Amino acid sequence: MVTQQPVCVIAGNAFAVSDTQGDMEVDPRHPIGVFSFDTRFLSHWVLSVDGERLNALSRDDMTYFETRFFLVPGKASHYVDADVSLIRHRSIDDSFNERITLLNHSAEPVELSVRLDIGSDFADTAEIRQPRQRTVVVTADQERRQLRLRYQRERFTREAIVTSTAPVDVDQGGMTFRIRVEPEGSWVTDLHVGMTIHGEGGRDLRASLESHRDMVRRGMREDVQEWLDRAPQLITERRELATSYERSLTDLASLRYVPLVNPGSVPIGGLPWAMALYGRDSLLTCLQSIAFTPELTPATLRMLANLQGGRLDDEHDEEPGKILSELRYGESAAFGDRPTSLYYGAADTTPLFVVLLDEYERWSGDAELVRELRHPARMALDWIDDYGDMTGDGYLRYQTRNDRHGTVNQCWKTSPDAIRYADGRTPGLPRATCELQGYAYDAKRRGARLAREFWGDPAYADRLEREAAELKRRFNRDFWLPHREYYALALEPDGTPVDALSSNIGHLLWSGIVDDESAPALAAHLAGPELFTGWGVRTLAAGQHAYNPVGSHLGAVWPSDNALIVAGLRHYRQDAEAAKIAAGIFDVAHTLGGSLPELIAGYEREFTKYPVQLPAAGRPQSWSAGGLLMLLGALLGLRPIGENLLVNPHLPPGFGGIELLDIPGRWGHSDAYGRDRAAARESRPRLR
Amino acid sequence: MASTARDYLQGLAPGRRPELPERTAGSLRLDAHDNGHTEHWYLTVADQHVEVSRSAEGADLVVRADRRVFDQMAAGQTHVSSALLRNDLTVQGDIRLLMLLRRIFPGPPDARHPRELGRQRTAGAERSAGAERSGGRDERW
Repeated sequence: MVTQQPVCVIAGNAFAVSDTQGDMEVDPRHPIGVFSFDTRFLSHWVLSVDGERLNALSRDDMTYFETRFFLVPGKASHYVDADVSLIRHRSIDDSFNERITLLNHSAEPVELSVRLDIGSDFADTAEIRQPRQRTVVVTADQERRQLRLRYQRERFTREAIVTSTAPVDVDQGGMTFRIRVEPEGSWVTDLHVGMTIHGEGGRDLRASLESHRDMVRRGMREDVQEWLDRAPQLITERRELATSYERSLTDLASLRYVPLVNPGSVPIGGLPWAMALYGRDSLLTCLQSIAFTPELTPATLRMLANLQGGRLDDEHDEEPGKILSELRYGESAAFGDRPTSLYYGAADTTPLFVVLLDEYERWSGDAELVRELRHPARMALDWIDDYGDMTGDGYLRYQTRNDRHGTVNQCWKTSPDAIRYADGRTPGLPRATCELQGYAYDAKRRGARLAREFWGDPAYADRLEREAAELKRRFNRDFWLPHREYYALALEPDGTPVDALSSNIGHLLWSGIVDDESAPALAAHLAGPELFTGWGVRTLAAGQHAYNPVGSHLGAVWPSDNALIVAGLRHYRQDAEAAKIAAGIFDVAHTLGGSLPELIAGYEREFTKYPVQLPAAGRPQSWSAGGLLMLLGALLGLRPIGENLLVNPHLPPGFGGIELLDIPGRWGHSDAYGRDRAAARESRPRLR
Repeated sequence: MASTARDYLQGLAPGRRPELPERTAGSLRLDAHDNGHTEHWYLTVADQHVEVSRSAEGADLVVRADRRVFDQMAAGQTHVSSALLRNDLTVQGDIRLLMLLRRIFPGPPDARHPRELGRQRTAGAERSAGAERSGGRDERW
């Protein structure tokens, strides 16, 4: 494995990661193997011919769920005159499939032994760094051409069943094919790996759930094509922009999965470590992509409503009305080693749930969904004041009640050391980070609109509006640092401002909690040299004591973060700064081939000339893919106003002209056009 | 706190339960196995009310487990979704209704309100960096 880029096929939370030959061997640094529902069903999957490992000639990544490896036996030095070659064609849906084809290129028949070593450690995705030893029962079933690997702990059973279509010798360690291939002939076997989560009577849990059964096993290629066809069409002269746009859409397609509570497909986090449902990632992805792939939103809202917190529970950081942070299906969740079977340790998901519900109605006109979700939305709004305001000072705060495994920072900057003073000190808990107040303000204002227009509750609407206005007034008094002209990153439990300069101030613009007269100063900071690298806005400004360009939340640049910032800047008409930052992120996407990673290092662009990817930052990531779409929407200035789509473009220099056709919404489908100023000037004479 | 699921379900107050979603309605049957014997509890949920009866009729969701598991749920000791993942509890039918059980049965008896932590913090000057968290996605940072 070492320095090679792992090769992935993905179908929602089922995914397979191998080396460039298609082989899988345990590596504590990467989740290598075949995974489904947070369990590694195969950890060892190595192909050899007559005892020799294979070498890759080339690879064809056909779709995100399908790859072909072209291989020859032997070492790189002498494969040029190989007599045989192999094609390994793999795909994933709810099972893993691999077709192995061996071609004899010589004029003589060949007799070969093709071997596939197979094993599983049934590791939980939470323990890839240190997989536990498990007793795996292996059954070699010669008659069925089948190898069964089974792990059981009490009634918790996971089983991988590998079946070959071609005759095979099956043993405890894998499968051996002793084959003879005629001159210019070929040999083929199809290997099917079923991954079973045992439920009632040994059947797969998913089979007994009506809701889950209907959804899987649709034609995946058709599904992707339909997904792309439903999205707006982007017309641009810049090929790299068209590529990045399509990559973002396919990245999103690959990260959809159907939860057991089947509301439709919802987006998961992304590779390599977040192939599961995260409330924050899903909500933000929906908000970012609402103009492009609105179908993700109703499913996500219904799913999160169904799993909304209903009681007090310290282990799971649960409170009534709270919206989920993380949902996993693995062994550590099942046995309570981690609280992730339903973990609520996030302070931002709950207001964002209300924000998304309102935003979706503005775009779609789906009043029925707003009425259907009145109760969960009302519970979410109540949660902000009843539970989120932990010290009673009117600010939304967080502190875990799970001392063992709880998340320290329950905002989007989840790393334990993310929230610091400018001088590096760590503030106390419970913490009130600034962007949480923005989300709460936005949720109250939007909740008021929903109450007035759909829930028939004008008194409640009045109350929410009063509270929102009061929150904005207090926030601008308590968080604003007049001498530095930005908002504090957070407040201490006693109200002392935590004075670091961070990207969080951009979220405040997005939420609308910023006083109009403060917006230009924030824009200057966000596009200034301490925060802006040339690629994007750093999570923490250079010059802060804790600043570290390779620290995830202490200096690195997140496309998702930047998308919200750009949308916020446009919201406050700071168009030049918005265009500058958006152009940087688009350049990251173009330089890296179209698919945005979750984060890049915070180095100066001038210094590295290349967006430096961090090991922790995988692709695809749903909120990075969504982020690129949001940037595009923000540059075009797409906004639903009443029954119409408002378009107010401000494109970065060099963008040329773009058209976005068939944007779905309550207006049916609508088109948007934009040109950057230079292009507009150039084209003017031609138009005349 | 009820010691068994039977006590808990029998003692369930008949009034409106505002924590239940207003739009969710359906029937759940709990099959509690104990030494070869099965006790059936039939829960009809509508308009934020729960009606409990004893019946083995078909339901939108059938939940099967050892009586011990239901007793633990009634005591707030077992999390229904963990029990499902462990296969200690099996379901047949519309799983969306399963989450209602989390609202009908109580949470852990020792759970704290977040304000309790907030008050501690503002009263004392104690500072904590919080819990060490490792594993899952946070291993990345």
